[in-house]
Amino acid sequence: MKFRLVVMVTALAAALASAEKLAIPVGLDAYLPVPDHNPLTREKVELGKKLFFDTRLSRDQTVSCATCHIPESAFTDERPVGVGIAGRKGRRRVPRIVNRGYGKSFFWDGRAATLEEQVLKPIQDPNEMDLTLPEAAARTGLSVEAVQQSLASYVRTILSGDSPYDRYLLGDPAALAPQQRLGLRLFTGKAGCASCHIGPNLTDERFHNTGIGWPNDPGRFAVTGREPDRGAFKTPGLREVARTPPYMHDGSIRTLEEVIDFYDKGGKPNPAFDPEVRELRLTAGEKAALAAFLKALNGTLRDGM
Amino acid sequence: MRCRVAVVVLAAVAPLAGVAESGAPAPRLVWSGPEVTLLGGPSPDGRYLSYVDPATRNLAVREIATGRSRLVTQNPSGSAEYAYFSVFSRDSRRLAYAWLNGEGFYDLRVIDRDGSNQRILYGNQQAGFVQPCAWTPDSKSILTLLFRADNISQIVLVPAEGGPPKVLRSLHWVYPKKMDLSPDGRHIVYDSFVDEATGDRSVFLLTLDGARERRLVDAPGNHLFPLWMPDGKRIVYASDRTGTMDAWELRVENGEPAGRPRLLRRDLSRILPMGITTEGDFYFGLRSGSVDVFVTKLGDPAPNARRATRRYPGRNVAPAWSPDGMALAYLSRRGSENFGQESRAIVIRRLDSEQERELLPRLAHLERVRWSPDGKALLVSGSDNKGRGGLYAVDPQSAAATPVVTEAGAGFRGFEGLWAVDGRSVFYLHGAGELRSREMDTGRESTLFRGARLRHLASSPDGRLLAVGEGEAGIVIIPAAGGPPRRLQFAGLTELEWGRELVAARGAELWRVPLDEGAPVRFESPGNRQSGFSLHPDGERVALTAGDIKPEVWVLPLR
Repeated sequence: MKFRLVVMVTALAAALASAEKLAIPVGLDAYLPVPDHNPLTREKVELGKKLFFDTRLSRDQTVSCATCHIPESAFTDERPVGVGIAGRKGRRRVPRIVNRGYGKSFFWDGRAATLEEQVLKPIQDPNEMDLTLPEAAARTGLSVEAVQQSLASYVRTILSGDSPYDRYLLGDPAALAPQQRLGLRLFTGKAGCASCHIGPNLTDERFHNTGIGWPNDPGRFAVTGREPDRGAFKTPGLREVARTPPYMHDGSIRTLEEVIDFYDKGGKPNPAFDPEVRELRLTAGEKAALAAFLKALNGTLRDGM
Repeated sequence: MRCRVAVVVLAAVAPLAGVAESGAPAPRLVWSGPEVTLLGGPSPDGRYLSYVDPATRNLAVREIATGRSRLVTQNPSGSAEYAYFSVFSRDSRRLAYAWLNGEGFYDLRVIDRDGSNQRILYGNQQAGFVQPCAWTPDSKSILTLLFRADNISQIVLVPAEGGPPKVLRSLHWVYPKKMDLSPDGRHIVYDSFVDEATGDRSVFLLTLDGARERRLVDAPGNHLFPLWMPDGKRIVYASDRTGTMDAWELRVENGEPAGRPRLLRRDLSRILPMGITTEGDFYFGLRSGSVDVFVTKLGDPAPNARRATRRYPGRNVAPAWSPDGMALAYLSRRGSENFGQESRAIVIRRLDSEQERELLPRLAHLERVRWSPDGKALLVSGSDNKGRGGLYAVDPQSAAATPVVTEAGAGFRGFEGLWAVDGRSVFYLHGAGELRSREMDTGRESTLFRGARLRHLASSPDGRLLAVGEGEAGIVIIPAAGGPPRRLQFAGLTELEWGRELVAARGAELWRVPLDEGAPVRFESPGNRQSGFSLHPDGERVALTAGDIKPEVWVLPLR
């Protein structure tokens, strides 16, 4: 019993020591939520990174997490919807998985409550990697829990911050050009973007129906069964947004400018439409300023420990 | 003199610094009077109290033993700049404080207690408000709350010698009402929502490196305003878990709660904890006294004044008569104390049955209520939970709030507005420079009048004329359908209402303002009338707010 206690204390100390070494980029919260049952350790993060790039986790060994979540593309890809093994198409855009350690729910419809729950689902999804968890464990020689914990740990370390936007907020007025400063004022003011895109990750982690994809995809309704959630999707964070087209949960809008136009016109009203989305009546100059500001959200992207 | 009777009666229900638990020390009144503000705190050595001088709005320091005060800052002559929250350094020699600068947002500044070595540490329009809460033990950083334009509050460390803040924790649509740093500098305690629907808060602990967060108080109720005791082993906080706002203590060991919370003192009512000295003296502010809504006869108020509210005595303001004169809506304060926005309910009192119904729209702040011409809707000035100030239509049956016009930069009190007589559009003051009309269905807007320092808006009963205060010296009468405005002289204007006649307020006084440019005539009115009155459609009765709220500073020894 005493030995177990010593081991636990030692493990905890090691975990804390490692956790301290995770470099949090400027502008993000130093407090990165980590579940008690899966403390962040260098070993797990390194294992998770290997698994992230490991094609053995897909049935035909052609697809890894990184096939769609490409590090050089801010951990997404350029296709409108995800493509899994044998060219099987998903129905939603591959999300940028940056700063997801701060997330409160996962996937566009929020069907996973934790990163630990989330990371196993693409492995099992027939349209993505199509492998059972016992098969994944057997192929990697790891327990399912080890795969789960290490992948989640690695994803937690994928962080983007230290952008011109962060530096501006923290007191460097020259970090944003005048047009970008106007864009920021519009973002938090007239354009109403900050009604949903708030905080360091520029997401409220809530679900909104903007009319995109209506009525083909039930969105959050499939999880909750609540009619007001029909067609609602989680607000995506906007870190690295300017370099990761196409946009929206179905990848249906090609450019940032078109996204701004979509919201300027008030979205696509429907019976479950979110009242937060309203016609904006932006001028051409204001739209350009918003787009310029969104480009200031490209920052320093890092992963691992 | 007779009107004072009502206030004295109400004051009797206000507690005097709580009820002692057996064996507990008694709190002592340290400071009361018109110059008291509660925006500062005690120095750790217990010798001084920082505050904002109400006359000049400068940061000031009061020597507690002698009562001598001195200004620490000097705002530029004629400027609108002023000091706000402040906190002493651990050696009691310096102060960190918030300062509204000339650009209209708050800087974080530091200054020596004697007024020397003032320095700006941080300022950013997108973090429009700052609140310094504690210095680190080495005095190298200041634990500060930033309130961002996107309505996020952030717990940050600001280097005392300058440099970018370090963000520790971001909170969506909520701001801690108090935050403190343990004497060893390792643990922050702060309060935050645990239930957005009820607004209930709890106390959380966050390590200074941001590595770990822990909820400290799990009991049902509202737990807030945490402060560290100087031994670093206990926190003191306020809680309403017994039904009254009490002071509680909780032991904390290695960042974890140890044992059960202990009640220190019951029923501290409108408490605003300020700080704890190194000797363990717990300084707190109390807002004593009360304000209430009264109904009386216009021009003859005192003999017939009677309280129009039944529940929550002493915390009711801003009355508004319904168009048929059969109902009175007013705002009733709920929840814990705060600076600025506060939780309020709309109460609708029927005069025939004397029944009251309470509406709790999902809005962060309600400032003012106006009835629609058909009495089927309310127009509320205020702000929502995402920090958007403006005007909201509130259904008097369901309490559902629908934005009429909102803006992120409008301020939490929202726009001053009223319904057009046809009920299909509203008039409102946008900023201080424009009177606008807005169609409810289409959102189409037009500007009726442009001016400077526009405040206070009233409409003639037939809806054909609008009255707007312009600065403090005049009233502009504007045809609602458009046309040339004309001006009436009225010095010191603070409010406007239009019943059968146009009535203006100058502080507590109420005046009839003739439209024919004759001299204003003063009505007799209570000397303790506060802002917020409404004229009954019968032209005789008036509902008004009266009373006094007096901030006081108390100390409770907790050694």
